Amino acid sequence: MTAAPLAQCLGVTRRFGHFTAVSDVNLQVGPGEIVGLLGANGAGKTTLIKMLLGLLGTSEGEVALFGEPPSRQTRSRIGYVPQGLGLYDDLSPAENMQFSAAVFEHASPGAGDQHGLPESLRPYATDLVGSLPLGVQRRVAFAQALSHQPDLLILDEPTSGVDPLGRARLWETIAETADAGAGVLVTTHYMEEAGECGRLVIMADGAVVAQGTAGQIIGSAQVVVVAAESWSTAFARLEAAGLQVALAGRGLRVPDADPAAVRRALGDLPATVRQVPATLEERFFQLASQGAAGKAVA
Amino acid sequence: MWAMIIKEFRQLRRDRRTLAMMIVMPVLLLVVLGYAASFDVKTISVAVAGPQAGAAQSALRSPFDVTLSSPGQGRSWAQDQLRDGKTEMAVVTGAGRPLVLIDGSQLFAARAALTALAGLERGAGTSGTADPGSAGGTSASLATAPRVIILYNPGLTTSDIMIPGLCGVVLVFVGTIITSLGVVRERQSGTLEQLAVMPLRPRDVFLGKIVPYFVVATVDLAIVLGVGIAIFGVPFRGSPAVFGLGALLFLFVTLGIGVLISSVSQNQGQAIQLAVMTLLPQVLLSGLIFPLSSIAAGVRWIAYLLPLTYFNEISRGVMLRAEPIAALWQPFLFLALLGAVVVTGATLRFRGYLAPAGREHSGRKPAAVATQGARA
Amino acid sequence: MTGQGDRRAVSDTSQAPGHDRPAARAGLTGQAASSAGSATGGEAGTSSSRFGASELFVLYGKTVALSDVSLSAPAGQVTAVVGGDGAGKTTLLRCLAGSLAPDSGTVWRPVKERVGYLPASSGIYPDLTVAENLDFRAKGYGMTRQAARERAADYLDRAGLTAAAGRLAGQLSGGMRQKLAVIAAMLHQPELLVLDEPTTGVDPVSRSGLWWLIARAAADGCAVVLATSYLDDAERCAGVLVLDAGLPLASGTPDEIVAAMPGTLREVAVRPDGEAAARAWRRGGHWRVWEPGFGGAQQPEAIEAEQIEPDLQDAVTVAALGQLLSAGRA
Repeated sequence: MTAAPLAQCLGVTRRFGHFTAVSDVNLQVGPGEIVGLLGANGAGKTTLIKMLLGLLGTSEGEVALFGEPPSRQTRSRIGYVPQGLGLYDDLSPAENMQFSAAVFEHASPGAGDQHGLPESLRPYATDLVGSLPLGVQRRVAFAQALSHQPDLLILDEPTSGVDPLGRARLWETIAETADAGAGVLVTTHYMEEAGECGRLVIMADGAVVAQGTAGQIIGSAQVVVVAAESWSTAFARLEAAGLQVALAGRGLRVPDADPAAVRRALGDLPATVRQVPATLEERFFQLASQGAAGKAVA
Repeated sequence: MWAMIIKEFRQLRRDRRTLAMMIVMPVLLLVVLGYAASFDVKTISVAVAGPQAGAAQSALRSPFDVTLSSPGQGRSWAQDQLRDGKTEMAVVTGAGRPLVLIDGSQLFAARAALTALAGLERGAGTSGTADPGSAGGTSASLATAPRVIILYNPGLTTSDIMIPGLCGVVLVFVGTIITSLGVVRERQSGTLEQLAVMPLRPRDVFLGKIVPYFVVATVDLAIVLGVGIAIFGVPFRGSPAVFGLGALLFLFVTLGIGVLISSVSQNQGQAIQLAVMTLLPQVLLSGLIFPLSSIAAGVRWIAYLLPLTYFNEISRGVMLRAEPIAALWQPFLFLALLGAVVVTGATLRFRGYLAPAGREHSGRKPAAVATQGARA
Repeated sequence: MTGQGDRRAVSDTSQAPGHDRPAARAGLTGQAASSAGSATGGEAGTSSSRFGASELFVLYGKTVALSDVSLSAPAGQVTAVVGGDGAGKTTLLRCLAGSLAPDSGTVWRPVKERVGYLPASSGIYPDLTVAENLDFRAKGYGMTRQAARERAADYLDRAGLTAAAGRLAGQLSGGMRQKLAVIAAMLHQPELLVLDEPTTGVDPVSRSGLWWLIARAAADGCAVVLATSYLDDAERCAGVLVLDAGLPLASGTPDEIVAAMPGTLREVAVRPDGEAAARAWRRGGHWRVWEPGFGGAQQPEAIEAEQIEPDLQDAVTVAALGQLLSAGRA
């Protein structure tokens, strides 16, 4: 990354009393990058985002937005779409955009009184947001966040609940924004979305446990796949041996064990046992479980 | 900041319930407090009995209004008229001084009657000479200092009439407001659909939801009565059974209204708004604070639609005057009818939620649209 | 295995087929049915309890929520209903669970006592504790205290919720609440378990806990139907039905759906221009272009475009695209 990062966290830690929510996190988002932030609930993603937005201070370390600490000025260069979309259900998209435009004090681009609503959303401009389908609501929320031409976009679960084609279309908008030079930080629980990000940051228990591209993170991790005629018996036996088992179509996958242990657990049950590369989700699970070593999984 | 103001106005414009409240409430208060309500009693209904009933009737001018006259009857008949709430005052004529009985449980009417009587006596004392054959003679009969007895609330204390009224208010409060919240809570958390799928009969769900509020209301009522009687010295002269029956009927009505309110409310905020809008008129117009007879006629008809009006009659009548149930047939009938209507309506609406929605409900939006942000 | 109970066919209007149609109906989503047999191998009794729906139509006023949708939910198997928001998943699941009567079509489900349902909004009381919620559910389904306690303890333990048993449900994290909701739905060992988007918004670690519970239910012989907008959930299931705006787009096992995808798929580096733009979508930094491969002009400008093997996500995207294009709305 040659350009100065748009958002940067250096050694950021945040404590609430005795509880450490975020611990020594280094993170940056540069122009044109799409960075995915993954983590279980309670991993510290939300706290980190709040610190980036300037809503929360740090206990240690620095947060820099466009090279300075977060302030009201930097806030106006950020576009933020929270999980709840941040739209008023009882106003129309046009009214929502007007409100946002007035707050960010920018002249709304876009013709006449459409207030920057993209062409495809114009038919919905006067309906109440609460009555629109979720996919359309998301697009309105995006348009609103983009309307003041932010340099940094922060999106919380941007395509949750959307069908695959709709998701691809939303990601096209996000990618276009990145191509135009903005930096994008996305938090997500879904591996499909993780695949859209250039770089991933995985958090567990407040710390970063892995960073890099999906390929780098998976590395050479492997999982065991079991194919058995009687899958429920295999399931029961693996369970009884204390192994974490996941259902997968016709087979079972064991992310956290070696083939020998699996074979032993199955006993005399006829089944094939082999190793395959882990999926991102399974690698995530391995990392998150190690990160939570000793504590009950929340 | 301007942007916030515009936005709020736009949202307000669409929030019909709040708008209604903002407009209806002040208008209601204006009408009631400015025009309708008054503590001044303009007419006092009187029953006259005894051989000089006719004479007494002529002597009693405005503000008195003789509505019942029965020369053949005596004191116990007169007292019954008061007890049964038929008149506010009674005059018993006979040998010796006439007896004036005033119903102390009609606080303002009683005070007005006392004032008017004093005026009459003064007037009679200063008017012409006693002339046996003329009208003057009759006023003389009244002017011979009638004995005045205030029945049922001799001290004319306010708490004696407020506590019975308060019983009703407590029942309205728990029945309507609290119940509406409890039922709408089920809708808000989405658990109503879960109940629809479980093997529960609609009856179980309905009763199961209402019984706790029933119990709470009864306990509250007991507390109000207990404190009233033990500490404020409010009498309880009548039959507890009659009172209990009246309270039961009234509770059905208010609980039913509570369920109905919740069936048209999407969330607790809306339920409270609607519940308050049913509570306020009842507190103002049911005779709780302002006597019914002094409320302007143009508005008084509303009082006769309100359940609390009828319960107040029952509670005051039974507690202060030991009114028998036979005399209370009107309020009982009204409450019973209203209760039947309201509970049937509530049950039907409730059952509608728990039965599989079918064609008749084709106007409903699918739940799938509402899942955003519900899972964080 | 699990007791049969009565299977009632709930039909609504004159169009409803009679009882002898189920076998033929199964042929429509027949792939799902027959592969159920092979996936669960020699499990006895899978063919005897057949739950599902056939030719469902549901209208909300003028909106068509479901149009000619059929689903087969064999016992001992997890069947996924996939689609975005508004696709009709919740409507279909409500019909299966019995809280919505379709305008036309037939639903086969067991009696109320043998159905477990997780509605879109979790159906959990936020102001009761975990234990109290399960207690209410157990009593509502007529379980004995002993059985309920034991099973609840077992599930809570495996789901990692034992420590939270005394906590108010409203204070649980999203993932924990969903796990609780699934446990509550399967506590009484239903024959049909209907779960509406149990994994949406749930973090990956909790999701694996949820999938354990789901797998356990299926292993116990239950027919599980779950709605999801995520294809990695669908990939784990033995049967999938893809919905879009109330219409069935594809059904079968994940492999069958992929195999049935018409045309071919190419991957290019930049978005194509012109008419092909409507057939292209972005994925993982590159663009995928779908060649319908039936009639019409073949684009010879296939420079630096490699044909790729589609996966389930591609097949579903193609199905949706095909629908849009044929309706002239791309």
